Amino acid sequence: MNTKIIRTLVKKEMLDVFRDKKTVIMMMVVPVILYPLIFIGAMQVVAFISSSMETQNYRIAVDAGDDDAFLHKLLEQGEADEEENAYEITIVDAASVADYEAALNEETIDVYVAGKMQDGRMQYDVYYLNSVTNSDYAAGIVMEAFDELREEMTRQRIEAAGLNVHEILEPIGYEKENMSSSEQSLGSIMGSVLPFMLIISLLMGTMYPAIDTTAGERERGTLETILTLPVTNRQLIVSKFITVAVIGMISALLNILSMGGIAFYIYAILEMQSDVGSFDMAMFVPAILVCMLAIFAFSLFISAVTMCVTSFAKSYKEANNYITPLMLVVMFVGYIGFIPNLELTRAMAMMPVANICLLIKNMLVFKVDYGLIAVVLISNVAYAVVAILFLSKIYDSEAILFSEQKGSLQLFEKRSNLRKGGVPTVSDVWFVVAVTILLVLYAGSLLQVKYGLAGVFGTQLILLLVPLALVIYTKKDMKLTYGFTGTGAAGFVGSAFLAVGVYLINIMLAGGLMKLFPQSAENVETTFSGIMGDNVPAAFLVIALAPAVCEEMLFRGLILHSLKARYRVVSAIAITAALFGAYHMSLVKFIPTGLLGAVLCYVVWKTGSIYPAMLMHFLNNACSVIVTYFPEQAGRVVPMLVKDSVTFADMLLLLGAGLPMLGIGVLVLRKCRKS
Amino acid sequence: MIKADHLIKTFVRNEKKNRKMEINAVDDISLTVEEGEIVGILGPNGAGKTTLLRMMSRLMKPTSGQVSIRIGETEMTDEIEVKRHIGYLSNNTKLYGRLSSRELLQMLGTIYGIPEQTVEERIRQISEVLSMDAFLDNRIEKLSTGQTQRASIARCLVHDPQVYIFDEPTLGLDIISSASIIDFMKRERDRGKTVLYSTHYMEEAEYLCDRIVMIHRGKIISEGTPAELKERTKKDSLRDVFSGLILEESGSILPDAADGSYEQTGGIKGGRA
Repeated sequence: MNTKIIRTLVKKEMLDVFRDKKTVIMMMVVPVILYPLIFIGAMQVVAFISSSMETQNYRIAVDAGDDDAFLHKLLEQGEADEEENAYEITIVDAASVADYEAALNEETIDVYVAGKMQDGRMQYDVYYLNSVTNSDYAAGIVMEAFDELREEMTRQRIEAAGLNVHEILEPIGYEKENMSSSEQSLGSIMGSVLPFMLIISLLMGTMYPAIDTTAGERERGTLETILTLPVTNRQLIVSKFITVAVIGMISALLNILSMGGIAFYIYAILEMQSDVGSFDMAMFVPAILVCMLAIFAFSLFISAVTMCVTSFAKSYKEANNYITPLMLVVMFVGYIGFIPNLELTRAMAMMPVANICLLIKNMLVFKVDYGLIAVVLISNVAYAVVAILFLSKIYDSEAILFSEQKGSLQLFEKRSNLRKGGVPTVSDVWFVVAVTILLVLYAGSLLQVKYGLAGVFGTQLILLLVPLALVIYTKKDMKLTYGFTGTGAAGFVGSAFLAVGVYLINIMLAGGLMKLFPQSAENVETTFSGIMGDNVPAAFLVIALAPAVCEEMLFRGLILHSLKARYRVVSAIAITAALFGAYHMSLVKFIPTGLLGAVLCYVVWKTGSIYPAMLMHFLNNACSVIVTYFPEQAGRVVPMLVKDSVTFADMLLLLGAGLPMLGIGVLVLRKCRKS
Repeated sequence: MIKADHLIKTFVRNEKKNRKMEINAVDDISLTVEEGEIVGILGPNGAGKTTLLRMMSRLMKPTSGQVSIRIGETEMTDEIEVKRHIGYLSNNTKLYGRLSSRELLQMLGTIYGIPEQTVEERIRQISEVLSMDAFLDNRIEKLSTGQTQRASIARCLVHDPQVYIFDEPTLGLDIISSASIIDFMKRERDRGKTVLYSTHYMEEAEYLCDRIVMIHRGKIISEGTPAELKERTKKDSLRDVFSGLILEESGSILPDAADGSYEQTGGIKGGRA
């Protein structure tokens, strides 16, 4: 690759971006000027509030009949406090307050204390308004006075009884001591906030240059100019990518410097005023170095991702539309730093965004694992490289460059402009699938943890309703999109045979995979039995029937049909099956569910109807339910189902039984006529 | 010399009910433009002119067919090599507004791989010829339409290409600006360069072109010198030749609604289903 060309292009992009007011403002003005301004403003407000507190005069009405012990105490405290806190207490004559509730609300008094004798002791009620700052504060003073009064009286009584006050009141002694170093304490506070701030500032920093160099270039019409040059797509994309990543890094560093400066300032003030434990800043050097590397890696990642998103947009506005969901997702995942006890595991280290958050958090509390650091950094760089390679392929496509048609994402079109009929566009489907999967991932798993079976049902509803909303909004043809067409009996008979065949082969595959990955196999089992419960009909409904309808409508309906409209059937089936496999989110389940998905696609393709696929899916899941609840009976029919480990002979037997079933199914489906 | 060999460009449009419609915007066009020759492409809107020129300048990949350039004895077909020897200008090739003309030309020089000193020398020459000295260091977004147009021409000139491809370069320009472009094309032709350009202005084409290629619905319907075309159709002016040929082809000089390729194709121009 010619680095001279890339260098020249980067220089051009940099000039172009830095001469754009919008970007410079977003990058420089916000961190360098706005943060300190906000901070100084906040300090002013705090100073104003505390000064207004100091001169406060609290009006307290006490109605305690003949007992004036409390009144004395209160006055005594008011006098003592006058020197320390400089607030005043005015005792309002309780007789002059007719309706204490009204008086409190009108703020003619701040607290009303009512006391009367009850069962031989004074019982006081303190009335105040938690919503009014002064009232709330005055109530605090009153409560303090009560605490002191009670202690005083206790002492007096103990003494009167001739006992040792110290022994009675403090039968044991205890003290709490914080053993974590002040550096660790500081680190744990910063660890939850800093990663989030970093991620957001990097995202904000890359957003504008990413839009400007992709959608902006297209909008300004310079993209066609640059394409006349002897420059390859990859050179073009790489140079834009470098520009965006560098600007993102600069902006993140500015943000950190600005925030760090403010933090240091606060720390210096606090240190002068009180004896906050001093920090050994040298301890943070490794953390800071790793954070720098993390910023570097993450800026590569986030630049690549934002560029992938903005490159599909034809204008600034559209790019902004596209980037909003991305921002929400990144922010959402960025909150992971605030979750206590979430550890950076090897799997977590591969999860974009989350891994950076947890890495920085770990580093700040001095938990160092070089292996994990490497995994996080390398995975971020690797994702960026993959995304950029992908993008340079996409940029190749003339459809994006020259088509003057509206973007194929119809979801954001005005509804009245959309033509009726047909199937949803692939872009729409990707978008909706992404949203659905995210919902299922987060909301769905919450539902499942909280409500068990009902939660699983809720997840299925999400799978059904979110995509359905797209189909309805974009006015697509339900029949075409979902394959709601009738088919002959042959379709159902064939799919039943296929269901049995696939089920047998999947037992064999599961047996084999369990040998290869024993750990993850256990995982799968435990998660399932926890959810199922004892209600067999409900389990049938939720585990067998609901997925047969909802998952089929999404995968074999919406996804398969929209892919089929654009790509060849084979690719459409392969993509759908892979998605279906991935959707089950387990390495061990990927192959069996992928196979099931492929066969289900085949059924829909051959019959032209979704109903046989629904039947097949139902049969498949029903078998699983039966095996779970009636292992004995199922074991009598097919012993391999309940065996702990499957032998090679068993596997051959299963294959021998499964393949003919598949064969019969395929033959029967051949007879099926597409309507 | 630039040569187009059986170029076809097919656009696929998704029609309703899953039907895909294929449109050949350029339908098997072969064309050669020699050195020291100006060839004009004429055709109604949606005839496929822009698509043809984009393919010849390698901005677009042809569905089938090949574009090659020959300089002396060397023949090139590689995309990047071909682009190196073409100066392409159209209404869609905008300039970077936030750069100055000088910065733009310097950057292009580096990308074309021209030594720095040669670039500086060439910028000086170009600036003199196009009288750009006054605004060479101003940001392009601050320039007037005429100045921008001159900067655009400068952009095509900086690598001293062998072949110029211009897509409606004079569209919407005033007489003086378009005259400067026409002068420029003549001058370059006289220097032995290859010039291919499309236009709607018949008088301009008649005055400028050594040869005219008329295309309609993605196909060449007639080809020859202006004199030959007039002779062949027995018409006095190129304007009449043009309308006569289109009328002959489609039965009407108005875009016919029957095949729907004008109203409904949106961005994709011309051709038959």
